[in-house]
Amino acid sequence: MNDERELIALLKKKDRKAFKIIVEAWQDMVYNTALGLLQNAEDAEDTAQEVFIQVYDSILTFKEESKFSTWLYRITVTKSLDLIRKKKRKKRFAFVQSLYGKNDELVNDPSDFFHPGVKLENKENAVVLFKAVEKLPANQKTAFILNKTEGLSYGEISEIMKLSGSAVDALLQRAKKNLQTHLKEYYEVALK
Amino acid sequence: MQKNINHKIQKALDSLDGMDKASVKPFFFARLEARMNSEKSIWGNVSSFVARPAIAFACICFIIMVNAAVIFSSAKSNAVSSSQNDEIATVDEYSQVSSNLFEFVNTQP
Repeated sequence: MNDERELIALLKKKDRKAFKIIVEAWQDMVYNTALGLLQNAEDAEDTAQEVFIQVYDSILTFKEESKFSTWLYRITVTKSLDLIRKKKRKKRFAFVQSLYGKNDELVNDPSDFFHPGVKLENKENAVVLFKAVEKLPANQKTAFILNKTEGLSYGEISEIMKLSGSAVDALLQRAKKNLQTHLKEYYEVALK
Repeated sequence: MQKNINHKIQKALDSLDGMDKASVKPFFFARLEARMNSEKSIWGNVSSFVARPAIAFACICFIIMVNAAVIFSSAKSNAVSSSQNDEIATVDEYSQVSSNLFEFVNTQP
């Protein structure tokens, strides 16, 4: 804890060595969260880099009222959701262009996402689950990914999302219900 | 069939249990540093280009010229509109004179 504070104090003085230690300590956490939300390794790496650039540039705004990891999670979630929104807008624009004949190619659906951390025997089921997760609203998706891929408790998620514990509980319940609906639709077609 | 679907749904929902965390590719910090330096150099280049005396002087001259052009054009348009107003006034006065009914009726001296 003291080490963390010392590192943050050094980072506030733009110490590159402290920055390197911070990046190496939290890079996997940031990447894993971004990967769960974005479901694309390149986008996740890009977002992780942007997160650390923002950390370096705006460390002075970190008031140390919350944990450093909570602040990092918030930046990661915000950046990931921003990218998802940007991609959706691009997709919609490409679709409209294709309707007017300006662009013959329709944007393809993303290929199956294989999370490298999923156990081999669960890979196929996880692919289907991630497809369903993609359809969830942003706040449900965030709560679900933080809980499942990062293994965070309701308390930690509520701190990151600035919600009460009961609100997080309700979000996760709704996420599970929606996932069941999407999975049912998928399997009803697939098993016909 | 329904039982099979429910079983599949449950298996999918449980598929992330006990998963490991994904890790970044090696040399992440080196890539990050390279990106930070390149972004810094882009802005550094732009600011150093703008800060050159010749460029700064040219920019100031351009701004002054644009301002002068705007002032001249607005002054010119004001002058044109005031002369137009004079003409309109003269026409009005003339028409007032000629449209005097008494003069039309009593043409004889």
